[in-house]
Amino acid sequence: MVRRFPASALIGGGFILLLILVFMLLPLAIVAAASVTAGSFLTFPPQGFSLRWYGEVLASTAYLDAARTSLILATAVTASSVVIGTAAAIALHRRLLPGTSVLSALFLSPLVLPTIIFGIGLLIVASIYFGGPSLVALWVGHTVITVPYIVRTVAAVLSDADPQIEEAARTMGARPLQRLWFVVLPQARAGIIAGGFFAFNVSFDEAVVALFLRSPGVETLPMRIYGQLEFSPTPAVAAVSTLMILLTILLIVAIERFLGLRRVAG
Amino acid sequence: MTHLSKGALVAVAASLLAGTAMAQETFVINSFGGAYEEAHRRLVIEPFEQMYNVEVEVVTAYSADALAQLRAQAENPQFDVIHFSGGQEVTAAAEGLLAPIMPDQLSNYDQLYPFAVEGLEQGQGPVYSVAVLGLLSDGEAAPTSWDDLFSASNGEDVAIADITNTYGLLTLLMLNQVRGGTLDDIQPGLDAVTELLDNGAQILSSSPEFQQAFAQEATSLEAYAQDYAYTLQQAGLPIDFVQPAEGSPGIYITANVVAGRPNEELARAFVDMSISAAAQAGWAEALRYSPTNSTVELPVDLAGQVVYGDEAAANLVRFDPVVVNAQRSDWTDAWNRAIAQ
Amino acid sequence: MPHPLRRAERGAGAFGESVLLIGPGAALLIGAFLFPVGQILVLSIVPPEEGLSIWANFARFFEDDYYLRVAWRTFRLSVIITLVTAMIGFPLAYVVARSPRIVGYTLLLLTVLPLMTSVVVRTFGWIIALGRGGPVADLLSLTGLGARDATLLHTETGIVIAMVQVLLPFMTLTTLGVISTIHPHLEEASRTMGAGFYRTLRHVVLPLSVPGLVSGSLLVFALSISSFVTPNLVGGVRLPVMAGAIYQQATSTLDWNFAAAQSTLLLAAVLGLLIPYLALTRRRHG
Repeated sequence: MVRRFPASALIGGGFILLLILVFMLLPLAIVAAASVTAGSFLTFPPQGFSLRWYGEVLASTAYLDAARTSLILATAVTASSVVIGTAAAIALHRRLLPGTSVLSALFLSPLVLPTIIFGIGLLIVASIYFGGPSLVALWVGHTVITVPYIVRTVAAVLSDADPQIEEAARTMGARPLQRLWFVVLPQARAGIIAGGFFAFNVSFDEAVVALFLRSPGVETLPMRIYGQLEFSPTPAVAAVSTLMILLTILLIVAIERFLGLRRVAG
Repeated sequence: MTHLSKGALVAVAASLLAGTAMAQETFVINSFGGAYEEAHRRLVIEPFEQMYNVEVEVVTAYSADALAQLRAQAENPQFDVIHFSGGQEVTAAAEGLLAPIMPDQLSNYDQLYPFAVEGLEQGQGPVYSVAVLGLLSDGEAAPTSWDDLFSASNGEDVAIADITNTYGLLTLLMLNQVRGGTLDDIQPGLDAVTELLDNGAQILSSSPEFQQAFAQEATSLEAYAQDYAYTLQQAGLPIDFVQPAEGSPGIYITANVVAGRPNEELARAFVDMSISAAAQAGWAEALRYSPTNSTVELPVDLAGQVVYGDEAAANLVRFDPVVVNAQRSDWTDAWNRAIAQ
Repeated sequence: MPHPLRRAERGAGAFGESVLLIGPGAALLIGAFLFPVGQILVLSIVPPEEGLSIWANFARFFEDDYYLRVAWRTFRLSVIITLVTAMIGFPLAYVVARSPRIVGYTLLLLTVLPLMTSVVVRTFGWIIALGRGGPVADLLSLTGLGARDATLLHTETGIVIAMVQVLLPFMTLTTLGVISTIHPHLEEASRTMGAGFYRTLRHVVLPLSVPGLVSGSLLVFALSISSFVTPNLVGGVRLPVMAGAIYQQATSTLDWNFAAAQSTLLLAAVLGLLIPYLALTRRRHG
């Protein structure tokens, strides 16, 4: 396949790309730099070099427990919202239901409403009917605020998918579940992966609903950071963030090396 | 599902055993995170756990968030003891979310300064620490008066707190008092804030922003808290704290018993331990909070870094919490309008 | 174009299938979102004082220049943020999709990295970057674009910059999902038939990417209109946005009735905008 990009696009595009990357990475670079300071407060440029804050985070059971809780929560949330969101997006895409546009907009409403209102409301309901805040309530809450991402990303890729393929499968006698599994889901794959990625990260970094629905003894990573900020805003919180970035890079590189991203990401 | 069914079981059990104490119920309090929570555990929570053979669960929730949670859980509260640092106990008590404490239920009652227990009549808990508002400077400014906020050589070097932060509310009321206003008329205070803003001052909303502003040398004079000045000093920033000549108001940190929980007696014991001389001396030592217990003994160097002694405590500027609470919404509104760009 | 199943299977089967597919989502939306949120939003019709109309909280909003200006700022900034994100996100997604694979994945990885950090910590990175004495201010004064003490902290420009960085991954990934389903042969065909690169981009790739841009802009717009942490920290309290005002009323002044009224209006206004937007974009590209 011959691909010819004009020089103007290559040079101009390269320059703009560079600007974008500097812009995207600038605050992260500052955080990473601040995390290796030898001092006790967040500052840029850092004062000296030390890995003491990494040592502190990695030696702290509170941070590690919180990271594990967040990991479990975000995984469960991703699973539930991918299933629920993908199904809903397929239904909305077919437009057989009355008021599809209204339904689509309603599925976005958890993102529009400030989470404080949702958090308080969910706490009221959990307290009256379900004995108070719990990890399950938090899971439900996070599922609600992550489903919209999947509905949107899956709906987007389905819009460009060829609907005739599903129709062909139907005329050739494929049953509904077979059509769903062999035709629609593969078509939706790029959207499911992007949406699932969003869901995981949103849940992993969500602090407001967690603030209201965490049960005593359960602490997620954003809650841990929130709890440190007021009285101990040390570079440890920057170290946590930098560790998260490094782990992500490692994970993605590992997936690419051993599985091949193309197979995973389509 | 275990949490759900456990919750349901507890609810069923509670309705069956209504009236009887449930010993296995966890004991839940809020604290304020970080170094505060560490000191809290050492000074109150762990001694309490040992003395009463109970496990205390700590939830990190700052005062405003904690009150919103308490209100949302009114039907089925989760906290046994709740700590507030922004006057939220007035609202909580007025809404019936707190269980009143009688003076004879606290063994340390008689040792407290009168201002620390005056809320008991309205159903609030006692004050166990005071965080004093004053001026933090980088050493060059050397302020002595609240007026020095206005005469800073570069107005942009000044920072005050937003009204949603209780230190901001107190800054407004203190400037108001210095400029001749009263609680019935805070216009002089609002004018003072507007004047500061015209000079280029910044309004910040959270503690880490104040730290960062000093660390990045974006400010050199801040109206903020004595204990936070100490936190910054411990982190290595060259900060001086000054109580201005006109006096300093304080934030009153209270320990309150939540209504509708099975263990009110235990909760009162927790509050009683919070106001003990030993715990309060520990707070002063660890984070430079000023004690409200008149029997607290502090070494001389430490005594100079907090408000200490009958006379000093009596000189703290105190704004009537009931009036402050009643006006808070209107003042916030007026403040928002005054500062909006 | 209606979905072919719609024509082929008008019967109960396909309809029932759709109901089954949307069932869990609808149940979640009703039971775990609308019901809890309703507990709060219903407070909006409880008047602040007895004897006032049930619309008193809403009237307070509309009769007050201050709240209207806050709402206008929120809306204006959200539109700007959405447009800027789309203008950066579309070319970025195209480059990612059409680059050699290792370049594409590296770019993609760098684009989504901001999502991997705590929003609060990342925002503190922006406070340092944009504040007095920070690198952006230094750059501005070096290039003569700003005064020596120039700062973008506590400005609307600062809010837009920090928000675009936070939200760009949503636009890029959503658009990328769609662009990656556009077959490169389509572009080749267009080029073979004599259309230039930019013409092909404009008339082939862009129209086919619209569903991605629509979905991405919906996400970005919804997220910017309800965001609180970044505008509050980067924009500061002197540039209030609606979510910040609602947060303040929910926790600080505890005026839940007015917070509920503002939330209801926000939700209603945004849904009122999105429903026609969705209907319009579906008819053209569904």
